[in-house]
Amino acid sequence: MVNLTIDDKQVTAPKTATIYEAAKLNGVNIPILCHDKKLKPFGACRMCLVEVEQMKGRQIPACTTPVTEGMIIRTSTPDIVKARKMVLELLLLNHPLDCPVCDKAGDCDLQNLTYEYKVDSNRFTDEKFHHQIDYNNPLIERDMNRCVLCGKCARICDEIVGFGALTFINRGIETKIGCEFEEGLNCEFCGSCISVCPVGSLLARPFKFKARFWSLTKQKSVCGYCGTGCNLTLGVKDNKVLTTLYDENQGFHNGQLCVRGRFGYQFINSDKRLTSPLIRTNGRLTECTWEEALTAVASRLGGGNSVAALATPRLTNEELFLFKKLMLDNVGSSNFDHSAGYAHAALTEGFTRSFGASASPASILDVQKTDLLLVVKTDSYETHPVIGFEINMGVKNKGIKLNIISDKRGKLSKLPGANTLVHSPGSEVAVLNAIAKSILDQKLSDGSAASIPGYAELEKSLAAFTPEAVAATSGISADSIQKIAKDYASVEKALIIFPVGQSYPGHNQEMASAVANLAILTGKIGKEGCGVLCMSEKSNSQGAVDMGFYAQNGGMNGLQILDACKNGTVKTLFIAGENPVVSYPNGANVKAALDAVDFLVVTELFMTDTAAMADVVLPACSFAEKEGTFTSTDRRVQYVKPAIRKNVKCKTDFEIIAALIAKLGGQAPSAPASVFAEIAASTSGYAGMSYVSLQSEGAFAPVNVTPKLVASKAAQTVSAESGKLVMVTGSALYHSGTLSQFGEGPMHVCPEVYVEMSRNDAARFKISEKDIVTVSTATGSIKLKAKVTPRMPEGVVFIPYHFSEAPVNAIWNGSAVTVVSIAK
Amino acid sequence: MSDAVAQQAAEQEPVIDLSIADAIIDKYIDMSGNLMPVLQAAQDEYGYIPRCVADHIAERLNVYPSQIYGVLTFYAQFHLKPRGRFIIRVCVGTACHVQGAPRIVETFFDKIGIGHAETTPDLRFTFEKVACLGACGMAPLAMVNDSTYGGMTVQKVDDIIADYSKRPLK
Repeated sequence: MVNLTIDDKQVTAPKTATIYEAAKLNGVNIPILCHDKKLKPFGACRMCLVEVEQMKGRQIPACTTPVTEGMIIRTSTPDIVKARKMVLELLLLNHPLDCPVCDKAGDCDLQNLTYEYKVDSNRFTDEKFHHQIDYNNPLIERDMNRCVLCGKCARICDEIVGFGALTFINRGIETKIGCEFEEGLNCEFCGSCISVCPVGSLLARPFKFKARFWSLTKQKSVCGYCGTGCNLTLGVKDNKVLTTLYDENQGFHNGQLCVRGRFGYQFINSDKRLTSPLIRTNGRLTECTWEEALTAVASRLGGGNSVAALATPRLTNEELFLFKKLMLDNVGSSNFDHSAGYAHAALTEGFTRSFGASASPASILDVQKTDLLLVVKTDSYETHPVIGFEINMGVKNKGIKLNIISDKRGKLSKLPGANTLVHSPGSEVAVLNAIAKSILDQKLSDGSAASIPGYAELEKSLAAFTPEAVAATSGISADSIQKIAKDYASVEKALIIFPVGQSYPGHNQEMASAVANLAILTGKIGKEGCGVLCMSEKSNSQGAVDMGFYAQNGGMNGLQILDACKNGTVKTLFIAGENPVVSYPNGANVKAALDAVDFLVVTELFMTDTAAMADVVLPACSFAEKEGTFTSTDRRVQYVKPAIRKNVKCKTDFEIIAALIAKLGGQAPSAPASVFAEIAASTSGYAGMSYVSLQSEGAFAPVNVTPKLVASKAAQTVSAESGKLVMVTGSALYHSGTLSQFGEGPMHVCPEVYVEMSRNDAARFKISEKDIVTVSTATGSIKLKAKVTPRMPEGVVFIPYHFSEAPVNAIWNGSAVTVVSIAK
Repeated sequence: MSDAVAQQAAEQEPVIDLSIADAIIDKYIDMSGNLMPVLQAAQDEYGYIPRCVADHIAERLNVYPSQIYGVLTFYAQFHLKPRGRFIIRVCVGTACHVQGAPRIVETFFDKIGIGHAETTPDLRFTFEKVACLGACGMAPLAMVNDSTYGGMTVQKVDDIIADYSKRPLK
């Protein structure tokens, strides 16, 4: 810490702070346009000029000057105020004064500073700019006429997002921000650039002309898409969520969001939302009262084990807990599951046997604290984009070594120093085992490893996984495997991350144990910056596991439930928010099961393909309309409260389940808070938590690890016969599950399913970008657009799974790797 | 893209041999700060930086395409359109200006039918006004590639154009 004087006040500040940061820390606000707390100092706007006595009264920028011991700083002398006024006059020379029609008005730094410094006239005159406004994409409008060239958008796109869509182009007075060759923006559309723009140059088009900034109510919430658990501020007016707002102090991610979080909110107020209970009469779904619907459902829930339930892990902890209670205590069935059963196996089976806990022994905060990252699949940028931002910042700012094991390349592979090992699809567990083998062979394991239970069995099982043998099947050289083993074992801190989800069937208990073995063998567990992070797919996937809403004690899992529907063992199926017709593998089988089951109840926001098959449809509520808690992938329990009032004709899943408990003669809880008290009392790690304690920023539920080494079986690698390709499924950057189909933002930029293939394959099959191709397997075929990219290895194609139009599950039966034919 | 549009695009941007760019990139790939030398060498080879070459360099050097464009537009030395075989530069600095440079410029405009920073369709001439060529004693001054023409007159413009129109393009 250093001592300094700011505006005649004695203060202290960290040695590494700049004058701007030191002042802010001590409650002195220095005006600035080009600074954001996560970005590197840039010094472009000259608004933050201050006087430092030791520098002979010169005016120096506070944002780029580090503090030194004994500095005497004055932040608002008459000279400084005069200089700042001049800066504003110069900026306003070219900046158009179209504030009445600018969406930024009220939230505009330039407008606020002009007001604060009373710049009511301008001594200079000049012509305004006449740049063309970029309307080329539906999400981000770029109006360079309003730009003050602070460079924040270009810097955030590089420093945090790692995409680099924007840059300074030209020179001198002609300088502007733009894309390559003056094209329109064509990027990830995360909108980070909008969030930091100090003026109205970058605007969210879906929000344009919707409301004035000051008329919005700001409601804090948690994003309802993936398991990262990003915090949101929703801009609400007239009980409608109109936009998301940026708050640089929110969450571990400092307010950064991805395209889904920022632009995917429209589903909340969509006019396609269901607004009345529906009951099937004479073959058609017709509106009915809640009483009729709930009575009909309750009358079918009495069948014990002939009743089964599937829930989406987007429900709150309270809802899942109550749902489980309904099934066990009131219905008397242990047949319930989420995420098709296999998507949580990494946690519920893999980590349970390897760590003795069904949660990741690491947090997202460890990403930036580690020395080496081992990322299994580059898809972490697509499944969990904000974790991708953390990786980007860690690699670029902290020099974290990045190693990637994946079946295709991706944005992470482009980071400086990234070491990407592309393996043949399906061989990832074998590669991980070979790394473990190599750690043992090179005697790199931790001293205490041999005393951990399972060591001998693991050593024996790894005999077959010599780097040389695995090199032959995986396509990664033995040297590379040995090097990665050495790098991983020899650094002090290392973190492994991998995504799981319904479209990653290969990321199962075997992979979980294989990565756990690496961490346990080298003692990289239970320390800061170490461990294994399993990135779960949906907003409350970890919560669903913690609440125990999955097949246990002889209950049927998700896929078994569907089979049982088909053979008649299950007569009533209660689906809360899941859309298995689209998202579960083998779509034809799912449809047959839902056709066969006697009685199907679906609670949903929308008339999905699954809801359309139901006997009773109950309109539910989104995350913005209910109270409860979500548990993020790193087990941060976060509280959400209603941002808007729900439609009076809808009920939350909590209310629906509580009403059913009451109808079945049970004791229904009155409010989510009382259920959370039960959760806190009964769930490991949740002890001591309450809504009051979670209000501000949530709390981590600790994970107690009892390590055990487990031999993990590697899948057979699949190779395609000539003329065929292997297909892997996964998540597209812009989507999450099937819900994002109802978000206008994601659908604007990624409206339909596509098949991604390498340039060589495209040339071989004479396919070019955007051609309509037919991809087929023994189970069926789908027609979709081709996307030719340099990131795919030859012989492998990728199809994302989110879409009801041409769903990939028409040709995919749930195996990690599928051999497909492709034709134009 | 309709066939006509495709044909037009093909005419405007002739087929670019990317192997030339690859050879340049191979030479500098392991050097830090290799973007400038690669771009300079590419411009020497192609005469300008075609879009596809810029994209190819971006992909191989792992630099954002936007960043390459930023560099290309920052430096006056880089050109994004094909340049003529003969670059005519006419000085319009102070000394040349008082000695009648504006009339020289006008005459070139009239005779070869292009304006400042433009290129004739046959790629023979590119015309540029420059601020000062550093030989004020020879004002008004013109240059064609590396040859200097001092004491320019309107008649000399005709001679220069006639001379360079006869020379081979390759």
